[in-house]
Amino acid sequence: MQVERVDDDRGLALCAAEDGSKSTVEIALVDVAPGDRVLVHAGVALAELTA
Amino acid sequence: MRYVDEFRDPELGRVLATEILAAVEPGRHYKFMEVCGGHTHSIYKYGVDDLLPANVELVHGPGCPVCVIPMGRVDDGIAIAREPGVIFTCFGDMMRVPGSTGSLLEAKAEGADIRMVYSPLDALRIAKHNPDREVVFFAIGFETTAPSTALTLKRAKAEGVPNFSCMCSHVTIVPPLRALLDSPDLRLDGFVGPGHVSTVVGARPFEFIPADYGKPIVVAGFEPLDILQAIRMILAQLADGRCEVENQYSRVVPYEGNRRALEVMAEVFELRPHFEWRGLGFISQSGLKLSEAYADLDAEVRFSVPGVRVADPKACQCGEVLKGVIKPWECKVFGTACTPERPIGTCMVSSEGACAAYYNFGRFAREREVV
Repeated sequence: MQVERVDDDRGLALCAAEDGSKSTVEIALVDVAPGDRVLVHAGVALAELTA
Repeated sequence: MRYVDEFRDPELGRVLATEILAAVEPGRHYKFMEVCGGHTHSIYKYGVDDLLPANVELVHGPGCPVCVIPMGRVDDGIAIAREPGVIFTCFGDMMRVPGSTGSLLEAKAEGADIRMVYSPLDALRIAKHNPDREVVFFAIGFETTAPSTALTLKRAKAEGVPNFSCMCSHVTIVPPLRALLDSPDLRLDGFVGPGHVSTVVGARPFEFIPADYGKPIVVAGFEPLDILQAIRMILAQLADGRCEVENQYSRVVPYEGNRRALEVMAEVFELRPHFEWRGLGFISQSGLKLSEAYADLDAEVRFSVPGVRVADPKACQCGEVLKGVIKPWECKVFGTACTPERPIGTCMVSSEGACAAYYNFGRFAREREVV
């Protein structure tokens, strides 16, 4: 999923899937910024994807 | 789609298949276990198996989180769900896993308030919206899912949500692999390592496989080219006389794992002395429970659970499928009495289960069709 917006205070991010659907994701385990791509499992971003 | 399309390129797939064909020794039979149910699903969805030479056999491992939950554990969940005032939450796959007297889905049909969630955070949200009800989350899964549960329990504690608790059935991947490697039933030549678990734990915990058992392992991603490349890398190790842990999935998996995830898991969970696995029996230090600091959020402390061990139905051979001893189609009830619509065994329930993968992608044939 791609990070669209980050809420640092709550440790959450709005992320968009490739099909356009959006969901709120817990980001306590990764450092991410808008535009980053993350691997999300059970509502939590586990890893940032790197080239 | 970035990170996906480039790993589904048919032309590159044919190149890898050709390289694999060139790398195998004629007359030698290779048996590789893909540990993760996600790999099993991809292998049959994309026909990876058909691109392999006939003497390269893939054996399906115990890495499907739903498949390894024993019937007695389902009964425990149903017992809690039937308590007055309880809202019982779980992932969708878990709803259909048969217990000794039925599934959570059937208990729901009989009146229990059981709700499907996509994340433990959804369960916590339900608890906040229903302060007069007890909300229990049935936590299952390997180290991939455990951080999500751990973070949710931390939030529940920090935000003071007294009506939320967790029935923890998380398991860890290393002990069953060791049990399989110690099993005389199975002779394996190498492993396709679990990609998503490794995102959390890293590749280092698998170093015991080459060190203690002399088998190569390559941690792999889930697209068809990931899996083909991992098989190519295992074959290269065998051809070179090497035996080590390699990381094909480096775009996601750091060798040391996710430090923050490991820290939150260490804070919230502790190892159980032993845990029952479907088909594999009791394995020492293979399951997680809530640590002392989080015991007040432990549903098994808050509620009375039967905790009875229930034997699998005699017709079901999930245990042998999970150990890679038989292929799904060799099970007596595969595709007849046991189907995804009416599963008898757990391996037919989840899309990551080997039986469901075979069934859904039409692998009823006794012989592989090798192209």
